[in-house]
Amino acid sequence: MMQFIAYLTRKLSRDFHGEIISLPTRTILVTAFLALLLLPLFNSNTYILRILTLTCIFSIYAASWDLLGGFAGQISFGHALFFGVAAYTSALLNLRLGLPVLVTIPIGALAAVLSGLVLGLPGLRLKGPYFSLASLAFPIIMMGIVFTFPQLTGGELGISGITRLAATRVREYYLSLMMMLTLVLVMWKIVTSKTGLIFHAIREDEITVRASGINTSLYKMLAFIISGLFAGIAGGMYAHFMRVVGPSTLELIMSLQIIVFVIFGGIATIYGPVVGVFILYPLMEYLRVVPEYRMLIFGLLVVLVLRVMPEGISTFVQDLLEGECPRCKERNAFTRSACRICGTDLDSHTHLNFLKRGA
Amino acid sequence: MTGDFLEVNNLSKRFGGLHAIRDVSFSVNRQEVVGLIGPNGAGKTTLVRLILGIIKANSGQVIFKGQNLTGKKTWTIVGQGIAGTFQNARPFAHLPIIANVMVPCLGPRASRRGEWVKTVEARAMDALEFVGIADLAKEPASRLSQGDLKRLEVARAIACEPELLILDEPFGGLNPTETSLMAKSIRRLHKGGRFGRLHSEGPAMIIIEHKLSELMKIVDRVIVLNFGETLTMGTPEEVVNDPKVIQAYIGKEVV
Repeated sequence: MMQFIAYLTRKLSRDFHGEIISLPTRTILVTAFLALLLLPLFNSNTYILRILTLTCIFSIYAASWDLLGGFAGQISFGHALFFGVAAYTSALLNLRLGLPVLVTIPIGALAAVLSGLVLGLPGLRLKGPYFSLASLAFPIIMMGIVFTFPQLTGGELGISGITRLAATRVREYYLSLMMMLTLVLVMWKIVTSKTGLIFHAIREDEITVRASGINTSLYKMLAFIISGLFAGIAGGMYAHFMRVVGPSTLELIMSLQIIVFVIFGGIATIYGPVVGVFILYPLMEYLRVVPEYRMLIFGLLVVLVLRVMPEGISTFVQDLLEGECPRCKERNAFTRSACRICGTDLDSHTHLNFLKRGA
Repeated sequence: MTGDFLEVNNLSKRFGGLHAIRDVSFSVNRQEVVGLIGPNGAGKTTLVRLILGIIKANSGQVIFKGQNLTGKKTWTIVGQGIAGTFQNARPFAHLPIIANVMVPCLGPRASRRGEWVKTVEARAMDALEFVGIADLAKEPASRLSQGDLKRLEVARAIACEPELLILDEPFGGLNPTETSLMAKSIRRLHKGGRFGRLHSEGPAMIIIEHKLSELMKIVDRVIVLNFGETLTMGTPEEVVNDPKVIQAYIGKEVV
């Protein structure tokens, strides 16, 4: 037992040195996470904690869109379907049946997947832009259903009086932070696995994947289910955090805003959308100081940033701080003079990459 | 003709008013290498796509090892042991080359076979080594030249562990040296055996090609298509000297 613990400690410290400290972007991410972890100790302003909790929830939602849109290439304009259905289901289960949060969120997520399957089975047969356009209709259909049964769903007023996610604001904050870390890591693990490779390949060329003997319908469905599950969890958390669920969870802006976050952060990376949400969502809240110009400034900022970094902010920073070894294609910090894996000489040391590119 | 391996019966395909393939029937033996030639627009690629199930036939049957594959999905057909390359290589451009070959290695058929090689990477690497682009394994596929793309296509097809390999213009865009190298690889593949950790049972082959001089050295039998119909079949010598074939390719002599 002692030996096992010693082994584990050794392995963890080795991974920490080799995989995190050696790469500047990962160091930044770990530092940022630690800062978020320690934040409530220094600042107990509930408004800031509220914004950050919502940011965590939207990070899960954005990463789930990235899994479907960025990796499997099924660009969905109706991702709010999962979010909204899960939010409504959790809220109703909680309010009518009095189920606790731990039960309602998973059931809500499953309901989101189910509704996604009902609408998506015919939808996934469509290709490319046709799927995107069809997906635009999904939340609108669901919103129609919501308005058809106002006694059950509360119509335009929505459902209120739902149990809190956790007893205090700080607990809610830590819960959603930990959920975000876990779920995003799980998604990252999925997309870097062999299944993720097939998602990548389906996005690149579906016919070739078929001719390689892989059941593309199955894998597209799988991407749909995984993505819907995570978006559903985010939706359920949102319902319990806001304690009111209305048709706003199904609105078009819910679907489209998230795409802006993902593209701003860096598409097809999983961690990119999280970065994007953590920059843009608090910014949007901050811009409430100038309510008239809020959306204008927001839009201009996104356009200008994407003009400079078309592949998203996370990819841009990564290229800036890390170079790719020409031989083994492993990434290295810009300060290194030799590749940390294969020892090849790197010419980019002491120069930031963008200086060399003359950009 | 013993048609128990691959049998194509009265296959027809129309695109609107155009009869791309009309009542084509032929068969391939387990040990055979068959050339499929014909002038441009004769329907060679359409025929291959029909066999692979990428497009659906209007009528007719494809029977492989006694099983009717007509109307089956492409992945089922590949799972049964038919693999093909595309005339215009369609790589996953943003992925590294090795990932392009790892995808077919993940298919149900390929992962069932060769169980003594556990890692997908090792098998993909062997397929790349066989076609000779293993040194480029980590480059993105968009960086490859036309010739290397053809090789990548072949690597992708043999990674499916096929029993019948369909090559659509494997020499297209290759210079003479590359062509003879590729021809050598194809002959070696047909003989079967082990290439590193990759085991080949020596697939039967259908090869579509315009470079007839190279093709004739490889194939046992040639099928000539013209306007969607089989013009003639026979050994390379018979076909090359057939006046109908010469007429289809060059045209009738004006007296």
